[in-house]
Amino acid sequence: MEASVTVGVVANPASARDIRRIVAKGGAVTTHDKLNRLQCVLAGLGAMGVERVISMSDRSGIAAGLQRLSTRASSESWPMIDFVDQTITGTKTDTTVATETMVKAGVGAIVVLGGDGTNRVVAGSSQDVPLVCLSTGTNNAFPRFTDPTVAGMAAGLVASNLDCRTAGTYRAKMLTVEHAGRVENAVVDVAVTSGDRVGSGAVWEMDSVLELFLCFAEPGAIGLSAVGAAVQPTTRRLPTGLNIRLGGTGDESDPSKPGSGERSPEQSSHEERVKAPIGPGLVADVTIKSVERLEPDAPVEVRSPAGVIAVDGERFFRFDSGDRPVVTLSGAGPVVTDVPAVIHFAATNGLFNSPSTAAHVANPAHDAEPKSETKPETRKR
Amino acid sequence: MTSLDRLAMYTEMVRIRQYETRILQEYHGDKTPAWDIGAGLIPGEMHLSAGQEPAAVGVCAHLKKGDAITAPHRPHHFALAHGVDMNAMTAEIYGRTTGLCKGKGGHMHLFDPENHFSCSGIIAQGYPVACGQALAMKRKGTDNVTVAVAGEGAANQGAFHESLNLAAVWNLPVIFVIEDNDWAISVPREASTANTSNADRAAGYGIPGVRVEDNDVEAVFEAAGAAVDRARSGEGPSLIEVHTLRLLGHFEGDAQAYRPDLETVDERDPIPRYAASLMEAGELTEAQADDIKAAADAEVDAAIQFAVDSPIPTPEDALQHVFA
Ligand SMILES: Cc1ncc(C[n+]2csc(CCOP(=O)(O)OP(=O)(O)O)c2C)c(N)n1
Repeated sequence: MEASVTVGVVANPASARDIRRIVAKGGAVTTHDKLNRLQCVLAGLGAMGVERVISMSDRSGIAAGLQRLSTRASSESWPMIDFVDQTITGTKTDTTVATETMVKAGVGAIVVLGGDGTNRVVAGSSQDVPLVCLSTGTNNAFPRFTDPTVAGMAAGLVASNLDCRTAGTYRAKMLTVEHAGRVENAVVDVAVTSGDRVGSGAVWEMDSVLELFLCFAEPGAIGLSAVGAAVQPTTRRLPTGLNIRLGGTGDESDPSKPGSGERSPEQSSHEERVKAPIGPGLVADVTIKSVERLEPDAPVEVRSPAGVIAVDGERFFRFDSGDRPVVTLSGAGPVVTDVPAVIHFAATNGLFNSPSTAAHVANPAHDAEPKSETKPETRKR
Repeated sequence: MTSLDRLAMYTEMVRIRQYETRILQEYHGDKTPAWDIGAGLIPGEMHLSAGQEPAAVGVCAHLKKGDAITAPHRPHHFALAHGVDMNAMTAEIYGRTTGLCKGKGGHMHLFDPENHFSCSGIIAQGYPVACGQALAMKRKGTDNVTVAVAGEGAANQGAFHESLNLAAVWNLPVIFVIEDNDWAISVPREASTANTSNADRAAGYGIPGVRVEDNDVEAVFEAAGAAVDRARSGEGPSLIEVHTLRLLGHFEGDAQAYRPDLETVDERDPIPRYAASLMEAGELTEAQADDIKAAADAEVDAAIQFAVDSPIPTPEDALQHVFA
């Protein structure tokens, strides 16, 4: 049997709906917006000869919307859509299960619609499959603002053409934080905050941020990584990252207070204050105590005495005084797609010249039969 | 949020749960025949809120004297969390003259002017009323706020949309709360609602909308705190949708044959989960938890006793305190 070109689609129905809509000017990316973007992605995939799409299932209107739309005449050019047959929990487990199923099924790329948090979860299971990341979250440093039709075309090209894949994808950096047997990965940042509980998850009060570990800090991004961009811009393709200690506004003379830590006089004399866009509509004045380059594969201990670790802008777990979580930067993140680079490569190599070029190129990544145990259910055709 | 806030929220959730657990027993205790909802000491329908305590407790933790709540047909958790007197509320549920409405309202019609608490059996009815109350607060120049509560099913009523629009246009101090328990009686959300997130629907009216996904009282507390601050400081309305859990049937007597998630319902109960997390953090001990439960039970016993000992209205009372 001829191997068909398959692409996975993960659209997080819950992205861009957290407390930052109230405490900051977090925009609304509605389910309908997400469906619109997905339709563009599908048109792009179809045009590049992708025959089959595997979509995550959800109970929040995305899968149901796709199913409904795929019966309409306007979906004629789309690939066939299968939905992952999964138990829907309404949590990030759904994303993990969907990604794992897609990888097993041998997809050539996964299109991700979500913010940093969604990408972090997908990256946890995507292995070597290239991701095409479309921003639909609140804090978007990892996914870039990309036109969804173009992103769909790029995903189709990467999935079906080995040269495109070589020219237009790279392995991203990643941060790993380890503590008491717990391991969490981040695709943008690990923040140490002074709170003692996880609460609504989101981090928006800069006063509470004591320390930052950044994979990259690109000018133009919003969120915690913008603090790094304001002092030492660091691109996502560089092997190193940043470790920044922040001032907070607590009583500095009280050593029992988180944020005061042990610090030497010469470090405090280097303090500087910068303005950084840490959330939509939120430009914070941040006191920088120190900025250090984070070398790859060199574990660094968190220096704050106690607090809550936040991963990609979301609070995750608490550690107590005396505990020392360890953060490591590595080049072992997900494989991601540089959309303009793929399009550029395709254009200069004549891949747009014939409408079905891509479909005639053998699928480089997966020529075997899908190995999936969880058989995706066919809903279209 | 301090350790005291957390303990207070846990205590309140347990208080509500113990209350409803007891009401559940009392309600079924003397229904003969079992299907006759008019029979027994607690007459009429009964919609219990067990499993939805995080929504009420996380929101009400931010309210103060003078703030108002309009609740729906499933009102007990919001009533108790907002400080409605347990005795008067129980007497109302038992249809006694000492009840909040002198026994004329029953469990779906608890009106407490002192605490600005009201509820209604007509779904989404509280939304327009909340706008009215908020308008009054605004015009009086107070920093009070109104909380309007409805289920995700009610959010398909016109009144929901009209109220969001009005509150946005007039910049009213309202916090719209949607308790999304996945079911409107036997109708799952996706079968009735084109835009399955009410946080997104708020965006259509230019109101910030937040969805709290996992029935977590602390997450509700934070989102509600931000929304209440916003309303108090004149920034206008917000909507918070809490993805919560209906532990029991829609009403007492509902066999829930339509519900595929029944098996996992108990393991998703938010109260044991919260107790475990507080214990893990060293903020609650087993002994404390037992004391909290015992104190709640004692209060509930007293309220039930008060209701049972209170007079049943006479036929003449039926003509008292009515308009027409
Ligand atoms: C205007 C109106 N229409 C219909 C009903 C009948 N009814 C009572 S409860 C209910 C479903 C409410 O569902 P939801 O708003 O999700 O709240 P839940 O019961 O789940 O708490 C309906 C349709 C009613 N009470 N009022």
